[in-house]
Amino acid sequence: MKATIERAVLLKSLGHVQSVVERRNTIPILSNVLIEAVEGGGIKLMATDLDLQIVETVEAQVEQAGATTVSAHTLFDIVRKLPEGSQVSLEAAEGKMAVNAGRARFNLSTLPRDDFPVIAEGDLPTVFEIPAATLREIVDKTRFAISTEETRYYLNGIFFHVTDDDQPVLKAAATDGHRLARFTLPRPDGAEGMPDVIIPRKCIAELRKMLDELDGTVEIALSDSKVRFGLGTAVMTSKLIDGTFPDYNRVIPTGNDKLLKIDPRSFEEGVDRVATIATEKTRAVKMALDTDKITLSVTSPENGTASEEVAGQYGSDGFEIGFNARYLLDILGQVQGDAIEVHLADAAAPTLIRENDKASALYVLMPMRV
Amino acid sequence: MPIRRLPEHLVNRIAAGEVVERPASALKELVENAVDAGATRITVRLSSGGIDRVEVIDDGCGMSAEEMALALERHATSKLPDDDIEGVETLGFRGEALPSIASVSRLTLESRVRGAEGWSRIVDNGDLEEEGPAALPPGTRVLVENLFAKVPARRKFLRTPRSEYAAAADTIRRLAMARSDIGFTLEHDGRRNIAVQPGETRPERVAALTDRQLIENSVAVDYDRGTAKLEGVASLPTFNRGVADHQYLFVNGRPVKDRLLIGAVRGAYQDLLARDRHPVLALFLTVPAGEVDVNVHPAKTEVRFREPANIRGLIVGGLRHALDEAGFRSVQRPSAAALGNWQAEPVEGGVGQSSTAYPQGYSSEHPQPHQQGHPQGFQQRAAFFTPPPGSDQASVWDGAPEYQPAPEGKAEAAEAPVPDAATHPLGIARGQVSETYIVAEAEDGLVIVDQHAAHERLVLERMNRAVAEGGVASQGLLVPEVVDLDESACDALEERIGELAELGLELERFGPKAMLVRATPAMLGAGDTKGLVRDLADEIAAYDQHLSLKEKLDHVAATMACHGSVRAGRVLAVAEMNALLREMEVTPHSGQCNHGRPTWVKLGHGDIEKLFGRK
Ligand SMILES: Nc1ncnc2c1ncn2[C@@H]1O[C@H](COP(=O)(O)OP(=O)(O)OP(=O)(O)O)[C@@H](O)[C@H]1O
Ligand SMILES: [Mg+2]
Repeated sequence: MKATIERAVLLKSLGHVQSVVERRNTIPILSNVLIEAVEGGGIKLMATDLDLQIVETVEAQVEQAGATTVSAHTLFDIVRKLPEGSQVSLEAAEGKMAVNAGRARFNLSTLPRDDFPVIAEGDLPTVFEIPAATLREIVDKTRFAISTEETRYYLNGIFFHVTDDDQPVLKAAATDGHRLARFTLPRPDGAEGMPDVIIPRKCIAELRKMLDELDGTVEIALSDSKVRFGLGTAVMTSKLIDGTFPDYNRVIPTGNDKLLKIDPRSFEEGVDRVATIATEKTRAVKMALDTDKITLSVTSPENGTASEEVAGQYGSDGFEIGFNARYLLDILGQVQGDAIEVHLADAAAPTLIRENDKASALYVLMPMRV
Repeated sequence: MPIRRLPEHLVNRIAAGEVVERPASALKELVENAVDAGATRITVRLSSGGIDRVEVIDDGCGMSAEEMALALERHATSKLPDDDIEGVETLGFRGEALPSIASVSRLTLESRVRGAEGWSRIVDNGDLEEEGPAALPPGTRVLVENLFAKVPARRKFLRTPRSEYAAAADTIRRLAMARSDIGFTLEHDGRRNIAVQPGETRPERVAALTDRQLIENSVAVDYDRGTAKLEGVASLPTFNRGVADHQYLFVNGRPVKDRLLIGAVRGAYQDLLARDRHPVLALFLTVPAGEVDVNVHPAKTEVRFREPANIRGLIVGGLRHALDEAGFRSVQRPSAAALGNWQAEPVEGGVGQSSTAYPQGYSSEHPQPHQQGHPQGFQQRAAFFTPPPGSDQASVWDGAPEYQPAPEGKAEAAEAPVPDAATHPLGIARGQVSETYIVAEAEDGLVIVDQHAAHERLVLERMNRAVAEGGVASQGLLVPEVVDLDESACDALEERIGELAELGLELERFGPKAMLVRATPAMLGAGDTKGLVRDLADEIAAYDQHLSLKEKLDHVAATMACHGSVRAGRVLAVAEMNALLREMEVTPHSGQCNHGRPTWVKLGHGDIEKLFGRK
């Protein structure tokens, strides 16, 4: 194999693929990136952790086709340090790969390409497209609620499913048992009959990074066990979480009769300010509701107390409710507009937060007893 | 089949099966009788662990000849004058012990009421052998010989004299602790093993029977909750043992063994002590007679509390209170072994016997190993200074101090003047060694503080206080979690629902074999709820204590504490060091790290003088 490629191009795509590679690997080949030079077709870079794989194709001058694997992190670090604007030549022969740029010479150990595991996609019957910007929004508005608790593996991802409400929709939901985030969009063409899938957190994280640099649309193809994202020059394939996502509709309250309308920015800033003195991990913030205002307060035996009044529209009976400040901030960080709706019932019942009844995102938050 | 009334001697023998199962239990009954008789000195002599012979002599009120005859009859007692079994204040009340023992041994009872003649009565396995006048000082002497000689089934189950003796000594120790006003001596096969004087204070007595050093390393427990009261002594967490053998509980003056104590002690010392270390303590609980039933078992070592949760709370609260008061104290002096490491090298060719204890090759290869600043010599010193096993420590203490190369840690000049030291028990920081230890000068000696351990402790205490003051916040679950457990585990958890809710875990019974979790302690985040509840059920079953939940909370606190702490290896300014010392002085439990090791030690002036052979 022999090819020459521009440093910037190589760096960018190595950046994409190497982040899939786990830092500590018991299987040596999984630390490596597969580099394949295709006659007249540029270079393909591929990395995997056996659950998630990214393949990216970049332009290069290929003198001799072939393939090899080298340590992904080492190669990435090398390319990162090469002078800007340089041309990098990659040449593999006899178990080594030479990396040359300017006067820098590296000779890296390789592992045979045939040992490199490739995820078998199988049949992916459902295929549809979503604008990259929309997909970005879906991820941003739900991923913070994904559970990290491994014993509840079926919550370790975002749940995608289609239903026919008033109109056919695609919904994405995530929960960690304390809060729930759901995003709804009109069902894209081709998504009808789609199986319910749970896309794992790591795939979501890598997907989100790729989406940053992408305009246009993303092609999504899936079966009940795999999903593939077509992201411009890159293709990401992931296994899905094999589990049943709980019926989350039950926890979305419908009868919460106390409505607070409040400016999300001043709400967010107020919570953030009073939470400063809550040094514990719990970060409980109390919210006292009164006619057309709320009083946020935090009591920390260690630091003292803090309170802040925030104006809002509220006409029901006054009462107090406690929330985890971080959970509130996670949600408030995702809502826009002048006034959001907070639907409450009582101090122990789930609370619903959304921009308005047309908004595609909806959040449910369980209160804290403080 | 005809029903018949059992003859007296058979009834006694059946009763004996319950009251007397080994020499220690006979001994217990006899000593209790002596205590009830108002004795001020009680002498106990045993042969072969008591199997051959148990003798108890007291200087109590004694009995007349007629009373002696009655005492050997079943259900004859002087201790329940008005049928008030609830209000009994003597140790005995059944009138069962003497006849029972007399039915399975050869029992000699001699007694003399002050100002009257003495009398003796000998009963052999239930039958009167002889009686007549006896010469003895006022009081009572009971001799039990050949216990179970005619009850082979019982005799077979006796253990070796050694373990029978151990049980007997434990009995005496407990009774002697319960009554520090009475003098006790215990002789075994002619050797006097326990001798405590009448009229000692309780801490003196407990220390005399456990560990003399307990006096300096314990706190007094004195906790009054209206009708219930807890008193006693408890060791500082730094004064601990590998086994929980020195933990004694007394309820209304009666020694009892109860699992409740184990759990409560664990609860109180938890996070002050590693799991496998145990404090030394003797606790005296006084509760209204109606709150406790002592009539559970003929041997009276078991009691039943009407409200065990309250009693546990009282013990945990009382201990915790006492330990909190103790504040920053911990074991004040470095242990003898640690002091050993401060020893100076004997003069060259000086004390012959210790030079032979040097590691091999010392004399030939390094005739003068401690050339100044020689790094090798520095390294080796550690080995030389550790006293060889079995060698007499005192002998290596003599000798001139060698020249010590300057340690590498920098000692900053202290800015605060000395007078301050008088007001600060932990002294004034004089410098830092190895970027790990703070060296301070106190009025009465030199203090060395492990900066990381100390700081970690301070942070954890701060956090615990937050938990205590603010209560534990709990986070509701969107979907209540169902945890399948076996029925007894569910029952156990259900009983504790109230306490668990206080710790932030809201549970509900969900059918016979499951619990429903509605909320979890917020500190634990979105953790493994099922695992938590299962661990909890196990723990409650094992210790009847909700420790694992508290432990988990503490663990979160401890982990955060650890992250928020000054690491070893950080250079501290003198002002920072002094601030740390001052905070330690006012923080409870700052004397030990989270694992019960001391966070600081003090080398008293006396100790320093010893190091230089001035004393
Ligand atoms: N050492 C003693 N000095 C004086 N009186 C004694 C002594 N030992 C026993 N007695 C008398 O003998 C009686 C019977 O003793 P015994 O131990 O059999 O029963 P008790 O102590 O009354 O009850 P228990 O069976 O619960 O021990 C006692 O009530 C007491 O009056
Ligand atoms: Mg008795």
